[in-house]
Amino acid sequence: MERYLRNHDALSEADQATLAIDRVLVVGCGGLGGMVIECLARIGVGHLRVVDGDLFEATNLNRQILCSTMNLNRPKTLAAKQRVMAVNPLVEVDAVQADLTAENAMELLADCDVVMDCLDNIPSRLVLQDAAKNAGLPLVHGAVAGWCGQVCVVQPGEDLLRILYGDAREEQGEEVSAGTLSFTAVAVGALQAAEVVKLLLGRQGLSSELLVLDLMNASSTRLQLA
Amino acid sequence: MIKVNTEDFPWHPGMTVRALLDEKMFTFRHIIVRVNGEFVPEEDYEKQLIQDGDDVLVLHLMAGG
Repeated sequence: MERYLRNHDALSEADQATLAIDRVLVVGCGGLGGMVIECLARIGVGHLRVVDGDLFEATNLNRQILCSTMNLNRPKTLAAKQRVMAVNPLVEVDAVQADLTAENAMELLADCDVVMDCLDNIPSRLVLQDAAKNAGLPLVHGAVAGWCGQVCVVQPGEDLLRILYGDAREEQGEEVSAGTLSFTAVAVGALQAAEVVKLLLGRQGLSSELLVLDLMNASSTRLQLA
Repeated sequence: MIKVNTEDFPWHPGMTVRALLDEKMFTFRHIIVRVNGEFVPEEDYEKQLIQDGDDVLVLHLMAGG
């Protein structure tokens, strides 16, 4: 298919066919989620469930690829669905305008193959990891603060986010003071997208490791977490 | 010698978590420290001693999206 021609030969035709039947849950449609959705739609992941309870506001304009001056005060999930329809109408989008909670988490995960953690606070991230663990699904985590970001892949049975956050008393991290920059969100979202595609295609990705990016120093580090 | 985020770092007797953070110039206000996998609360940074050979993980706490 012409639209996927430039995916080859990095992806085989069999890979492309696999992605077309895969189902990815993206929780959070902000800076990270927007980039993840963009990448997955373009590469040809066939089914996306996108979840966010928020409306766009002016403070999102600095980094969130789905946010424009035209859709302020409108649901992020609506923008996500419209964007995917514009980029790749072959992708089915299930837009859920809701915040993730412990109560709705398992329902949101139903029928999905992988979970993308694109959230913006620690308690919700832990709720999502627990749900993914209970559902036996891998989770791809991303987070940013200022010029720095991190990505890890949590396999079912692992508890990597509690290593990162479990003892923290805060709901948020350094981003409260360091802010969240466009290129950091784009870089981390793109790395999350690469990791989920590797998961879906059975290729080796991050394993019990945290990939830490420091864009100020143009450096990256892989830290073994377990 | 100790490991800090997988890299070797010189150890000295009496090295506390706080001293290590200062020497390594970790400037983030929100930091998670684990020594040999065990979480160290911030209130213990001044008193917790690091032993020769310890494996220290220092993570910037980030949760933004």
